[in-house]
Amino acid sequence: MAVAIETRGLTKDYRSPLKEPGLWGGVKSLFDRKYKDTRAVDAVSFRIEEGELVGFLGANGAGKTTTLKMLSGLLTPTAGSATALGRVPWKREADFQRSISLVMGQRSQLWWEIPAYETFKLNQAIYGLSDKDFREHLDELVDLLGLGEHLSVPVKKLSLGQRMRAELAAALLHRPRLLLLDEPTIGLDVVMQKNVREFIKAYNKRSGATIMLTSHNMTDVVELCRRVIVIEKGRLLYDGALDRLVERYADHKILRARFTAAVDPAELAELGVVVKYEDMTVSLEVPRVKIAASAAALLRTHPVADLNVEEVAIDDIVRRLFSHI
Amino acid sequence: MKTYWVAYQIALQETLQRRSTLIMDRLGGFAVVVSLYSFWTALIGDKATFLGYTRAEMLTYVLALNILRSFVFTGRGWQLVGEISSGRISSYLIRPLSYHGYALALDLAQKTIHVAAAALEVGLLVLCVRGELFLPQDPATWVLFGVAALLSSLLFFFLEFMISSLAFWTSESGGPLFCFELFLQFAAGAFFPLDVLPAALRRALEATPFPYMVYFPVRIFLEKVPPLEGMRMLSMEALWLAAAYAAATTVWKRGMRSYAAEGG
Repeated sequence: MAVAIETRGLTKDYRSPLKEPGLWGGVKSLFDRKYKDTRAVDAVSFRIEEGELVGFLGANGAGKTTTLKMLSGLLTPTAGSATALGRVPWKREADFQRSISLVMGQRSQLWWEIPAYETFKLNQAIYGLSDKDFREHLDELVDLLGLGEHLSVPVKKLSLGQRMRAELAAALLHRPRLLLLDEPTIGLDVVMQKNVREFIKAYNKRSGATIMLTSHNMTDVVELCRRVIVIEKGRLLYDGALDRLVERYADHKILRARFTAAVDPAELAELGVVVKYEDMTVSLEVPRVKIAASAAALLRTHPVADLNVEEVAIDDIVRRLFSHI
Repeated sequence: MKTYWVAYQIALQETLQRRSTLIMDRLGGFAVVVSLYSFWTALIGDKATFLGYTRAEMLTYVLALNILRSFVFTGRGWQLVGEISSGRISSYLIRPLSYHGYALALDLAQKTIHVAAAALEVGLLVLCVRGELFLPQDPATWVLFGVAALLSSLLFFFLEFMISSLAFWTSESGGPLFCFELFLQFAAGAFFPLDVLPAALRRALEATPFPYMVYFPVRIFLEKVPPLEGMRMLSMEALWLAAAYAAATTVWKRGMRSYAAEGG
């Protein structure tokens, strides 16, 4: 399989002015401005094959968006190298730009006062699509995204969900081979999040495009991505299968038991960490190595009606991972 | 080319869509023209000429100002500052598109509507005041004026583009842009002909590109400069334009390199 993205030691520093607090600080900074360099992305190396759908995770300020901006050619790195679809992104070659798209959930490329259809026509001209291709691509997107009647309404009159779908259509009209999605479901209601997720999955399947996606919504990641890349303070923390993230970062399992009679939670605490105890049902966090012994002890010492051993939910692990950061 | 044509059409639609902004803009401009006209009429009084201008020439100067303002001074500087500061410009930079060409197309759409509105206002004023106008008889004057106005418009576009591009480095580039626009109106002769200024100040201003935007084109229109002098002015204006173009593209390229794609 061909390589879609390859980065080696990709690094980006930002320089921002420092200001002392108060009015005097403001006056001082007029004459003697000090700067602070912040490393947003620190020697990140990874490789993504064509057609992969990869989740890119990290806490706020971890460097996800900066990485996407470098891969789309918006930012030039301070050090390191990267190729996307065989090109150096920040050279901004027209051929490369015709093959990619970057969608930022909080950004809009749509013209505000007029219907989204006009922006689509502009993109048709920018990407040099024939009328036939334009019609064909648009029909497919309108169908997949359920845009129909919204095409002729001024963008400012659309709901957030409708606008986000129109935004996706504008970004995909030229059928990019590489799609970079930054928080595509941000601000959407649950139903709309699901629609957008299904659309992304369908687009990946139909077009074979490579997709890299950042999201704070773990459902997006769990439903869409088999592989995830996690970064922390600009550094690569994990790159691999989502399932393996569980094995690697969850050193415990959940022991769930339902009792036939009330038990003393204090006794249960000896077997593991009591996460929840209500309605005669307990959830215990037990280290993996002790799970068999704890289950046996529970059965021996308490009136157990039902017993389950479960893996920790992926979103819990990722949340925990970030809370350590 | 098709891209810019489509962008032009869309921008036309959008400008028309923002009706109240357009009407307010025009009312503001119209008020300036009416005040300038009343001011100069009062100054001229019963005199045949004032500071070398006849009544007809002064009225023409004021009316030509309205059209030139709409053609030259309608720019997208503030939008560019906003787009750079908010990071919205990113969506253009990742598409295969020349941002200069795109901005020029949008600018042209704005000018089309504003010039049409200005022409309408001038017609209305001429009907109301029934004053005598100075209309050049020599077709060459009209051609020279047209070329001068076109160069002025491009000169303003690139100068404003350059100053707005400072937003790549500072979040406060609105300040320089505001000063530029204010000084420009004065130095270009958009409030009064520069002849009324003391000679030393006028000469100093003539060494800058600003008078080429309004003052010189109107003087060409009023046939106050001999043809040779007119050609010299146009050549100077073309040189200023080349310099402004070079400066704007250099600043832009440097800005691109340091662009931090703010927000998100």
